[in-house]
Amino acid sequence: MIIAKRKPLDEIMDGVAGYSRVLLAGCGTCVAVCLAGGEKEVGLLSSQLAIASELKGRRIDLGEVTVERQCDREFLDELRYVIQDYDAVISLACGVGIQFLADQYPNKVILPGVDTTFIGANEEAGYWTERCRMCSRCYLAQTGGICPITICPKSLLNGPCSGTREGMCEVDPSKPCAWAAIYDRLEGTGRLEHIQEILPPRNHALTTTPQTLIHKAYKRRYSVHD
Amino acid sequence: MEHAKDLLDETGIGGERLEMVHIGASDAPLWVEWVNRMVDRVKKLGPNPLREVRAKRVKQAQTVVP
Repeated sequence: MIIAKRKPLDEIMDGVAGYSRVLLAGCGTCVAVCLAGGEKEVGLLSSQLAIASELKGRRIDLGEVTVERQCDREFLDELRYVIQDYDAVISLACGVGIQFLADQYPNKVILPGVDTTFIGANEEAGYWTERCRMCSRCYLAQTGGICPITICPKSLLNGPCSGTREGMCEVDPSKPCAWAAIYDRLEGTGRLEHIQEILPPRNHALTTTPQTLIHKAYKRRYSVHD
Repeated sequence: MEHAKDLLDETGIGGERLEMVHIGASDAPLWVEWVNRMVDRVKKLGPNPLREVRAKRVKQAQTVVP
């Protein structure tokens, strides 16, 4: 899931400085799970903004709303009436949701309330680790389920580099070498032959421009042909 | 708790005004100690900054401008 981090309050206050009626829009999916932008975080931010604005002598009227997801138009549609009462919206959704909200309501000022950081897994409550860099060409079958693009700081496809020391990484000695971990995993699952496969260079063209994906079942609907 | 204190610091109220302590129901001396500690702490910190802002606004509202 997408992991985000709430922006510092000062930065958010600066963003809404010229607006007197501000709607805080939360998202009930990824950012709620990573405790950055769900309904509770909307409530917390609302209280903080109310108090901090009053301390600065600024008048601000705040509204709070949280939708299921901000990356789906059917949920953004739910805001079509409430948004009219406000001059600006602070969206606590990820970068995708913020942009989608801004596209849906182009005449409204939409401001980000979070910094979107990475896509990752929930190790434990409050603890998330990056696991995927969305490279558009997954190598996990050859690497035993450990992503060399993400976990190796050099994103080596045919590692390890010569800097690995006793299974630890030279770039961050506190972390295990991704390719040492890949070797151990392949050995443990009886797939060590993959370690001798030479993976070709990545096609970076896959990720240099914004991507679009249309499912095969919908190609006729959107008149797309191979 | 640390997060709540950070939020209060960020807001401008001050995280020092908030504390959570585990005190057993029968541990009256510890209760007394903490009450006194918090009272001393709050006295050093002074009034809640919001209170001053609001008092000023009330005074301004009540002041008749000739």
